Amino acid sequence: MANLIIEQVKKRYGSTEVLKGIDISIKAGEFLILVGPSGCGKSTLMNAIAGLDDVSEGRIMIADRDVTYADPKDRDIAMVFQSYALYPNMTVEENISFGLEMRKVPKEERDVEVKRVSEMLQIDHLLSRKPAHLSGGQRQRVAMGRALARRPQLYLFDEPLSNLDAKLRVEMRTEIKKLHQKLGTTIVYVTHDQIEAMTLADRIAVMKDGEVQQLGSPQEIYDNPANLFVAGFMGSPAMNFIPATVVSTDNGIMLELATKTPTLLPFPKKEALNAYLGKEILLGLRPEMITEPQHHKEGLEFVVKSQVNVEVTEPMGADTMVITRINDSEINCRCHPAYPAAPGSDIELMFDTSKAVAFDKNSGERIDA
Amino acid sequence: MTSANTMNSSSSRRQKTPLEHILRVALYICLLGMAAVYLMPFLVMFLTSLKDVEEIRSGTLLSLPGSLNFDAWGKAWGGACTGSSCNGIAPYFMNSFQIVIPAVLISTIIGALNGYVISMWKFKGSDIFFGALLIGCFIPFQVILLPMARTLGWLGIANTTTGLVFVHVVYGVAFTTLFFRNFYQGIPSDLIKAARLDGAGFFTIFRRIILPISTPIIVVTIIWQFTQIWNDFLFGVAFSGFDTQPVTVALNNLVNTSFGGKEYNVDMAAAILAALPTLLVYVLAGKYFVRGLTAGAVKG
Repeated sequence: MANLIIEQVKKRYGSTEVLKGIDISIKAGEFLILVGPSGCGKSTLMNAIAGLDDVSEGRIMIADRDVTYADPKDRDIAMVFQSYALYPNMTVEENISFGLEMRKVPKEERDVEVKRVSEMLQIDHLLSRKPAHLSGGQRQRVAMGRALARRPQLYLFDEPLSNLDAKLRVEMRTEIKKLHQKLGTTIVYVTHDQIEAMTLADRIAVMKDGEVQQLGSPQEIYDNPANLFVAGFMGSPAMNFIPATVVSTDNGIMLELATKTPTLLPFPKKEALNAYLGKEILLGLRPEMITEPQHHKEGLEFVVKSQVNVEVTEPMGADTMVITRINDSEINCRCHPAYPAAPGSDIELMFDTSKAVAFDKNSGERIDA
Repeated sequence: MTSANTMNSSSSRRQKTPLEHILRVALYICLLGMAAVYLMPFLVMFLTSLKDVEEIRSGTLLSLPGSLNFDAWGKAWGGACTGSSCNGIAPYFMNSFQIVIPAVLISTIIGALNGYVISMWKFKGSDIFFGALLIGCFIPFQVILLPMARTLGWLGIANTTTGLVFVHVVYGVAFTTLFFRNFYQGIPSDLIKAARLDGAGFFTIFRRIILPISTPIIVVTIIWQFTQIWNDFLFGVAFSGFDTQPVTVALNNLVNTSFGGKEYNVDMAAAILAALPTLLVYVLAGKYFVRGLTAGAVKG
């Protein structure tokens, strides 16, 4: 177990900068997730931590030891690859013990370790098989076993679940989380799947274009996104962005929506909107904050009801997503499945803006942070 | 995949129309005809090698020998004259093996290492290096004869078996590198990364992980190199000494040396003997090649 500190790490390929000064630091035992769209630099950063790629500038410390220029094998890390990268010519047992053998661990100790790891991952019946004769989920387990066997200071997971089918992915996700809770190891995990990020992480670093957009706990990132990109990336279905005009009324500053009958929405941090009076901003509202009228919310400070026209409905079982159009942008609302919402009809919805956020229309930055 | 299979099996169960029957027969006649054209020279050589000189003179190319007579084979192997010595081609067979075996092994090993480095340990300019190496595949033999003769002279290995091995290794490395590089290009680089994290070094990764999955390409390279070097005549005739001539050169001398009448039967037997090893390598190793591919050795 070790902490990890990344300071001002930059990486250039020729004149293109793929990492533009990354600063991340996590405590020992924390589960850090690097998340972002493809090409955001998350895999490059992972390779830099592993030592498989040199950094152009900056410093990487593992367990308070500067490893910026250390060889991968001297960093005391293990990695699980997206492609699993199992050695095709070796059996499962040899795959798991290869790292130990390279570190000159005696055969008896290796056997003990292989037994421990394979029992923990429930692959002890597969030890004599070659990777070609394993299913995707089994290969995934072997790849994890290979990483666990060495008991390194730091585990790196590079999109480990993206080659699995949907059901298995959810199962393995839970298993990785259990494993982390049981072993308490420090993990850096790369994914482009925001659900994986939310469910697994202690801390999430949302990346885009070689920069960390926001670093925080999953709930912080969900509730308090630093900018439009983070807000849109995390959460499924994504946060609604409603163009709304800031107007001054008898009740103070409000946001005006062009619904059937124009609706005025209150906003928690009114003072932040002063500078935008008369202008349009982007109001960020999660789908679960736009629902059918709920009795217990009736009359609360930031709750307003309004009529909207239903475009499409998407029943998901537990909820029904109602898709409507407000101020010319598509809006997802999470309604109770029993609430009548026929496409084409007008229905009443309840807008709860107590957790709403506001973004500058041009820069995409938060204006009420 | 599944639907294609079911389609195939249903069409094979279906009764063929008369036209399809005729076309199928025509196809086989065509194939047999082509096979005969290809086999004809070998058949003529083989038949001629079994005849005696009198039969050759009186009969046609395709007439059958009067009796099974392997005398010509014995003479070609151990008694025919090549130039001034009359020991057949047997000694030169040994010369050829002494050249071919080390040359094939060394060029294959160097090619494997080159390919490993060029595809998995890329360095600045490695692509240019590979491109430059590829030019070696397009240099005709005769172009390097004079410079190579000077080089061998400087190195003090002119007219020796070592010299010929050297020439064939230098000339073969371009091809073997190309083969291995292309094969390794298909191996995921994650494999190398995983091994590096596991603590394995350059040669350990090569020996423990890369070589064991290289069987198909090793076999291909060996077949190619063996055939090339065994069949080489130009380097053999230019750079060999009197007692280091390979079998191809000896065959040429045997055919061109005549005391009295031309012994076509001995010539033919010698030619077949000289061609046997490459044929044998292909038949034996070709099997391994196919097996290596179907065993899914590189799947993982």
